[in-house]
Amino acid sequence: MLERIVYNLIQVLVVVGFAPLVEGVVNRLKENLQSKTGPNIFQPYRDIWKLLHKDEIVSDRSSWVFRAAPYVAFAAPVFVALLIPVLTRYPLFFAFMGDMLGGGFVLALGGFFVTLAAVDTANPYGPMGASRTRMVGFLAEPVFIVVFLTVSFVAGSTIPYIVQTKWIAPISNFFEPSHVLLMIAFLMLILAEDGRIPVDSPSGQFELAMIDRSKSLEYSGRGAALMKWAGAMKFFVLITIFLNVLVTPWGLAPEGSGPLGIAIAIPLVLLKVFAFVLVLVFIESSLAKLRLFRITEFLGAAFVTSVVAMITRLSEI
Amino acid sequence: MQLAAILIIPAIASCFSLLPLGRRFAAQITVIASAIVLALAISVASTAAHAPFSGAEDLLTCDALGALVLVLVALVGFTAALYSWGYIATGGRHSLQDLQRYYSLYNLFLLSMLAVPLLANVALMWIAVELTTLLSAFLVGYEDTPEALEAAWKYVVLTTLGAVLALLGFLILYWGSRTAGLAPFTWVGLVDAAPHMPPALLWPAFLLILVGFGTKVGLVPMHTWLPDAHSQAPASICALLSGVETTTVLYVVLRLFPVVSGAPGLDARPWFIGFGLLSVGVATLLLIYVRDFKRMFAFSTVEHMGIILVAAGLGGAEAHLGAAYQMTGHALAKSFCFFAAGLMATALGTQEIGSVRGLIRSSPIAALALVVGGFAIAGAPPFAIFVSELVIVKAGLTSGQFGVIGLLTLFVVVAFCAVMYHVNSMVFGTPATDKPGSKVTMAVVPTSCKATLALAAVPLLAVGLYVPQPLQELLRAAAAAMGG
Amino acid sequence: MTGPEFPVVAALDALTGALFLLTALGVVATRQVLASLQLFVLQSLLLSTSAFLLGIATRSIHLFAVAGITIATKTLLIPWLLRYTVSDEVYRTREIGRVLNIPISLLLSAVLVVIAYAIANPIMNAVEVPFARINLPLGMAAIFLGAFTVAVRREAVPQLLGLLAVENGVFFAGVAIVPNLPVIAELAAAVDVPVITLVVGLLTRQIHQRLGTTSVGHLSALREH
Repeated sequence: MLERIVYNLIQVLVVVGFAPLVEGVVNRLKENLQSKTGPNIFQPYRDIWKLLHKDEIVSDRSSWVFRAAPYVAFAAPVFVALLIPVLTRYPLFFAFMGDMLGGGFVLALGGFFVTLAAVDTANPYGPMGASRTRMVGFLAEPVFIVVFLTVSFVAGSTIPYIVQTKWIAPISNFFEPSHVLLMIAFLMLILAEDGRIPVDSPSGQFELAMIDRSKSLEYSGRGAALMKWAGAMKFFVLITIFLNVLVTPWGLAPEGSGPLGIAIAIPLVLLKVFAFVLVLVFIESSLAKLRLFRITEFLGAAFVTSVVAMITRLSEI
Repeated sequence: MQLAAILIIPAIASCFSLLPLGRRFAAQITVIASAIVLALAISVASTAAHAPFSGAEDLLTCDALGALVLVLVALVGFTAALYSWGYIATGGRHSLQDLQRYYSLYNLFLLSMLAVPLLANVALMWIAVELTTLLSAFLVGYEDTPEALEAAWKYVVLTTLGAVLALLGFLILYWGSRTAGLAPFTWVGLVDAAPHMPPALLWPAFLLILVGFGTKVGLVPMHTWLPDAHSQAPASICALLSGVETTTVLYVVLRLFPVVSGAPGLDARPWFIGFGLLSVGVATLLLIYVRDFKRMFAFSTVEHMGIILVAAGLGGAEAHLGAAYQMTGHALAKSFCFFAAGLMATALGTQEIGSVRGLIRSSPIAALALVVGGFAIAGAPPFAIFVSELVIVKAGLTSGQFGVIGLLTLFVVVAFCAVMYHVNSMVFGTPATDKPGSKVTMAVVPTSCKATLALAAVPLLAVGLYVPQPLQELLRAAAAAMGG
Repeated sequence: MTGPEFPVVAALDALTGALFLLTALGVVATRQVLASLQLFVLQSLLLSTSAFLLGIATRSIHLFAVAGITIATKTLLIPWLLRYTVSDEVYRTREIGRVLNIPISLLLSAVLVVIAYAIANPIMNAVEVPFARINLPLGMAAIFLGAFTVAVRREAVPQLLGLLAVENGVFFAGVAIVPNLPVIAELAAAVDVPVITLVVGLLTRQIHQRLGTTSVGHLSALREH
């Protein structure tokens, strides 16, 4: 029992620690694909370190929401990391504290606070980004819910650990038509939720075109560091859910394997994440950013794909 | 041998039409070829009325119903070819290449329509139906006006869509017949295999084929392409399309009836009656509002296809006899109507009902043709359609389906009034303004068109007044084949 | 259910089927004409893959022939024919005015998929055939989606592609339920597709030359006023 708590905390540390690395790898790979050298993969760590040592400037017209938002945004992925299978196949101590829908809601809570904080600043770009994020968000929520519910329907439970065990065995479940469609829908969802191309340009500097990044424009110093870290962690958490629950539920520490299993699982998980990052970078480099009102079509397609997956599953095809 | 000859001759004529031997050569070849085909078809029909006819190692067969359709196709093919001789070449608007293209496609189109009742294998028959659409696509768009191209587009896309749906139906039928045993995939084989087929297979197949090919027949609500295609094509092609092409595809749908009746517990009749009544009703409504006389004739085709389907659905030898007779009368009358319409369009330069008034004064021959055609197609005595509709009504009343017959009679009467109203306002009535050129000279109209009209009027009048014995036998045998 | 003696083939067939359905949705939704064509080619490739897999499973030469014919006609011949008959300008077009906007047409597509499954269900329960469980409903869904494409799109080439997608759907269902259709019927149906494309392509060219546009959905001169 003690070791389950410990493993759970190790799991959180992995997420917190390696998230900026994943961000750095994504940035570098994208540049490499365009035949440029790109920044060092540890650059996000340096950025966070630098920002933590800078002064923070907070507008005196803003309320407690603005001050609290970075902490809430940081805490949300940490909470979700407690709930999802990151390293192990068997449920850990906090696994039953919340299921996948709960995890989704917690992530949404973090996003909600950040959106409110963006409106709080009265910087013109903040509310603009906030409203756009809401548009993307409300179209993405149904996809989340349909995907999670379909997956839970198969497994008979909404706890991710149980879903994962039911989904991977027998192997024929993996190749079902509904599974393929679900994976594609969830992939489109990740692209939308994390502000990747084709929904948003993560490296763009043009505020008028920003969706996600404009919400954190006003922050400085510690607030900015936490927001940046939180963004990286949210990405890592979403990828982990996608990989460990839907796509490649293998390579996790089995029951009773002790610390050795955990130690082996960490590089395996990172390997899977980096493989996915490679695929993501390819997708990002080959598509163009969608115009704002075409995002509804993109998310509509994701929604319909997930609904069709659900129908296919329910008709037992 | 005769059956194979019926198919080979138009193919040869089509090739010959492409030879650049002058503007009239293609037309002459086509007329001769279609005359030979007509003679062969009549001889086939006279034997098929007694016993099914087989040829070319059972690849081609022809029973009574098929023979009836064959004769109708050949007859209208001949008269339309004769009509085209003068009609298509008028005004020198079309180049030699255009004429050659027209006649070669005409022959191939005729070939595909002749092949439908002759091919034994159902899958090959589907291909023949598909080819009737594809080969007539450019014939419909021959005039190269924006409206003609729009009509051609809708025609090709919608009917091909229907045909592909029907293909799934046929595949399911094939699956069913394989499950039932090793019957060959012909209509006869399907009728034999039907009692052993699982109903859950037969029923969706039936519906798919009814809806799919129903699109090509022009049943409501899949009829939207029909008034466009049948009004924008040149008059000779309209005669072929309206007169016999829809009948040919309806023949395929009617063939399904004995197959479905063979399976216990399945009843195709309500569907036939339902679609039929819907078609007749909507067509009648549209006939009241129509503004173009070629479209008027096209809607009348929808109406008659509906009537034939209702007659088939009523069941019983009398109703089926009425259906067969209606098919005959419709083919003759509709082609005549379109010949008249072509005459009027050439002479008057317009197809709008509103701008045609007092035809009897300006052009008596066109007026006479229109009156005859209008009476024939609306179902006035002494023409064949009147008799066949009476037969159908009587059969329905004796079998006790009063509701259906009541609705049918109502629709037919309203349609009759609508058509008569339009014809009346065109033939009589004072012209609103004295437009220049409203004094029409029939010298504009080519001789062959007038000759064709005279020629086509003969069987039209004859069949209504007196049905010759061989034709009676053929009709009765065809009705028997429909009943199953 | 799905051929218990061929689990691998069944699994791969299910994968193919899912992607097949996705491409059908894509043909409804994509704006660019060229993208629709590429999706259609992908769909035909998936059809031949399914035919190939089923041919391995049922050891039927006919299905290999179907796979080969499909690749030859639909993936190679059709794009070439379209390029040849329809001008290049048509390929660069994007559909600006649609009958329904994309999210609504996608939602309606989902409804159509439900209807297709509902219709296919009683047929599947009637006769037990391996792989019909996967191919028949997905094929029917593709049929409905293709017909919907014809209804919803205004450009000429996507309407044609919708038509051919319906045929793809028919054959996708067909390879499972009639694995040994006589070769002559197979060949003739295969010839049918290029002829359709040729006719429609030439018609499109004529429309383009005469009317200057290929927005056939906008042609509505013929109606009762």
